[in-house]
Amino acid sequence: MEKCIASIATPLGKGAISIIRMSGKDCLKIALKIFHAKNLENVEPRHMYFGQLELSANAVEQCLMVFFKAPFSYTGEDVVEFQIHGGVLIAQKVLERCLAAGAILAEPGEFSKRAFINGKITLDKAEAIASEINAETEGELFSSLQVTNGLLADKILKAQDELKLLLAQLEVGMDYPDETEEVRLKEDVFEKLQAIKHDICEILDNSHAAKYLRNGINVALIGRTNVGKSSIMNALLGQERAIVTDIQGTTRDSLVESFSHNGIKINLYDTAGIRETKDKVEQIGITKSKQSLQQADVVLFVLDGSQKLHKDDEQIAKLIGEKPFICVVNKMDKQRVLEKQKNEIEVSALIRKNIKALKDKIVDLVITKEIDFNKLVLSNERQGQILNEAVALLEKAIVEKNQTLDITSMLIKNVWNCLGKITGNTENEDIIDLIFSKFCLGK
Amino acid sequence: MAKNIEKFDSIVIGAGHAGCEAALALARTNNKTLLLTISLDAIAFLACNPSIGGTAKGQLVAEVDALGGEMGIIADKTALQIRMLNRGKGPAVQSLRVQSDKNAYHSEMKKVLENEPNLFVRQGEVASVTMDKDKKFVTTTLGLTYQAKSIVFATGVYLKSDVIIGQSREHIGPNGFKNSSKLSESLENLGIKLLRFKTGTPVRLHARSVDFSKMELQKGEEDILSFSNMTEGKVENKAVCHLTYTTPKTHEIIRKNLDKAPAISGEIKGIGPRYCPSIETKVVRFADRERHQLFLEPEALDTQELYLQGFSTSMPADLQKDMVHSVIGLEKAEIMRDAYAIEYDCIEPTQLKPTLELKSISGLFFAGQINGTSGYEEAAAQGIIAGINASLFNKNKPQLILKRSDAYIGVLIDDIVTKGTNEPYRMMTSRAEYRLWLRQDNADVRLTEIGRKVGLVSDERYKKYQEKCKKIEKIVEKLHQKVKIDEKLQKLFEENGENLPKENQTFLSLMRRTNIDIFKLNDVYHLFDETDKRLLETVNTKIKYEGYLKQQQEDIDKMLANENVLIPENFDYMSVKGLREEAKEKLSQIKPISIGQASRISGVSPADISVLSILVKRAKNQKK
Repeated sequence: MEKCIASIATPLGKGAISIIRMSGKDCLKIALKIFHAKNLENVEPRHMYFGQLELSANAVEQCLMVFFKAPFSYTGEDVVEFQIHGGVLIAQKVLERCLAAGAILAEPGEFSKRAFINGKITLDKAEAIASEINAETEGELFSSLQVTNGLLADKILKAQDELKLLLAQLEVGMDYPDETEEVRLKEDVFEKLQAIKHDICEILDNSHAAKYLRNGINVALIGRTNVGKSSIMNALLGQERAIVTDIQGTTRDSLVESFSHNGIKINLYDTAGIRETKDKVEQIGITKSKQSLQQADVVLFVLDGSQKLHKDDEQIAKLIGEKPFICVVNKMDKQRVLEKQKNEIEVSALIRKNIKALKDKIVDLVITKEIDFNKLVLSNERQGQILNEAVALLEKAIVEKNQTLDITSMLIKNVWNCLGKITGNTENEDIIDLIFSKFCLGK
Repeated sequence: MAKNIEKFDSIVIGAGHAGCEAALALARTNNKTLLLTISLDAIAFLACNPSIGGTAKGQLVAEVDALGGEMGIIADKTALQIRMLNRGKGPAVQSLRVQSDKNAYHSEMKKVLENEPNLFVRQGEVASVTMDKDKKFVTTTLGLTYQAKSIVFATGVYLKSDVIIGQSREHIGPNGFKNSSKLSESLENLGIKLLRFKTGTPVRLHARSVDFSKMELQKGEEDILSFSNMTEGKVENKAVCHLTYTTPKTHEIIRKNLDKAPAISGEIKGIGPRYCPSIETKVVRFADRERHQLFLEPEALDTQELYLQGFSTSMPADLQKDMVHSVIGLEKAEIMRDAYAIEYDCIEPTQLKPTLELKSISGLFFAGQINGTSGYEEAAAQGIIAGINASLFNKNKPQLILKRSDAYIGVLIDDIVTKGTNEPYRMMTSRAEYRLWLRQDNADVRLTEIGRKVGLVSDERYKKYQEKCKKIEKIVEKLHQKVKIDEKLQKLFEENGENLPKENQTFLSLMRRTNIDIFKLNDVYHLFDETDKRLLETVNTKIKYEGYLKQQQEDIDKMLANENVLIPENFDYMSVKGLREEAKEKLSQIKPISIGQASRISGVSPADISVLSILVKRAKNQKK
């Protein structure tokens, strides 16, 4: 069986459920690393298992898992499917978990490809798939990127060209040691690599921003009772209260209230849940907080500025984990008693003070750089993933700068090849051509 | 007629560096072999520079040696000076180069050929090659006909060659030897497509007329061992080279007389190599360069002739003189031989399989410059493979294909048969994607077992190889000893800017520190004073580059996954609907043996490869 691949099987967008599919060697093993339920010691094929999928240290997704044993599956290999709540973000998170657990991201059309290889699809259908694959492969994607976003395409090409020049400079010194009189290379090379990394990171930052542009920023409010969560929420929603939608990227059941700030949508999460706690006995509301945290890009940790830090506050603070957060110190209309908090902003829900500043701060926290919305948007998740990989490879090349030139060159070549997966330029001959056009060589 | 025909297992046409290796490989694997050459005096002739090895080429020599070839042994025996290039740039790109005595090289190789029992060396120009079913016939210009099961073509630059100096164009081979005037036509009659390439060689000068005091002395390195595992001890330095430069006057002379340069005026139509440009091409293309470096290299010990490296030209003879005299230290230089350009026929190499056998006619193998390559080492590398495969062909055994991850030889052959070449192809380390693994020092680890399997590695060589492996094991074993943390170690670590370990560690783990290596440890602990330095280098690389080697192995495994998906020989690309038209044509023409090879054909896109690979895999699964 081939290596385990994974991807989101359902179309991205609205829908009550999403399916994440894995196929190939060890897919069940990989699934069981992240999915927990009763009776998983001997997983029976084609049975639904209800359980929890770990999303992070303190967040889970309730979902269903099915296992298909080879050859009785779509691809003819072992297949595992997770049926999860609908929505883009949650589906992406589950996919990320699968990848982290050992699956590799499926190439376009790869499931169908495997199905065909294993005789699961008929020949006439296969030809249709073949042309589909043709249309979906990277080269085609890149040319469509050039049409829809020439500037971004140019940036990636430019980075690759710069790497090519570096490679030519390094290689010429190694292939023609007698003839390169002027080699004062190494420092230049690493400076250049830093600059290229900077450029690629910028593209990526903008692409993250683009994701928020499409889906909005998900904000979770947490805090113990009576600190003023609901009044802050009302203050944030203000006149725009009317926007109440079942938007994509949220769990199926919960209503999310959204408002827009400077053209960016902000989704306030699990608001109903939090508001209910007011009337309930539940003192801390840990369960609810956990749920809303799952989806959050930003956490608003609400504290009462007129009181000392409460034991419960400390417990809730622990839930935040690695998420970006803002300490919202409410009741600035009263005397401040609370100690200074990390990353805090003082507001008053009551007299609507500093509410706009809070909105600004939310946006600033996720969209760190000023973005030109029309300029740099990665059209395709896969391209984003490749760029991330390129950054990691660049970092490796930079960190290992004390190695010999042959290694440096190899590490740079890895980056060049990686970007080639987007641009389609992976011909080694291009580097050799550059060597001969740039340098005077030969006997 | 039949009575007069002498029968052989194989016939090798041409006794240059490819032909010699091919003939020896055949004869040594029990094939009665005929080696035909235009002149016995041209056997293994170093027609251009008097040196063997260099970047990437040194690796090729080591690989030929590891397979049981002859080039490395003779290069060691006839060396005048030896150097390790790229020391300090990393193990992947280190290569040996020797200056060779070109007279000795020729006569030593001739001796080896003459002493090979199954080998028959004969002077004669081949006029035609004909076929009668499985039988192949070779007829010389004097009307002698020979028969064989297989033929290796290794004609070098002799096919219809023209030597060009200024206005003069002579139908001769290199160095005034006769050329091969009839064989090209015979090849075309067999349906083989020919190309016309060009190369060149610089002037030779008399040493007594050179002012060495104005030049930089280039000595060999001491304490360097050898190319071949068969060579005992190290190679001695017996001669020196000199470095000098062109002057603005040289460039001025060239610029003023460009109309007389055949390469630039259009008189020469053949395609020349970019890496070996004539001095006039360099001056034109790199106009901003104020000077170009030139090396003076001895041609042989028993002659005063010097080779002026970097000064290849096809300018008229009288101008050559003015040009030479404008170079620093050559003001009064006597030219003994003129520089010339040579045009010749070669075949379009994509007509070959990765075994070097012609796709269209079985039993015909091609090696060396006839395949559009350049260089003695590239020729020898193909020669030994063509010889091995002709031998396997004679015995009806499966052919040998070296992969890109096995050897530079594999890279070289895969490149030319898959992509073709539009200039004489030269090996470069940058062409090898797995060069950290394809090192000179581990060529035997990579290839000697393969050479043994095909019967070319002698008992003696094999024993030496096994001994070497054992010695390496012993070294590694010793490195597993723990080192006490004492003053000695403290001093060593301090000197090298490393922090002292907290607990006792093995030598092996100490070696993983950036600034510590096996040699520094040995200086202090004297574990390996008696051990061959080459072996220490190998172990050092193996340990210090372990992580990178592992990464490279992962890349290799990925590549092999595609390489091992074989495409049936008669696969019908034209009927596959999902392939683009261009891809269909290219694939039908190249007939790749595997998905891996298919993916390297220019004009075949990754999308085409996905389509192709699913069809091929599906076909296989259905067979099961």
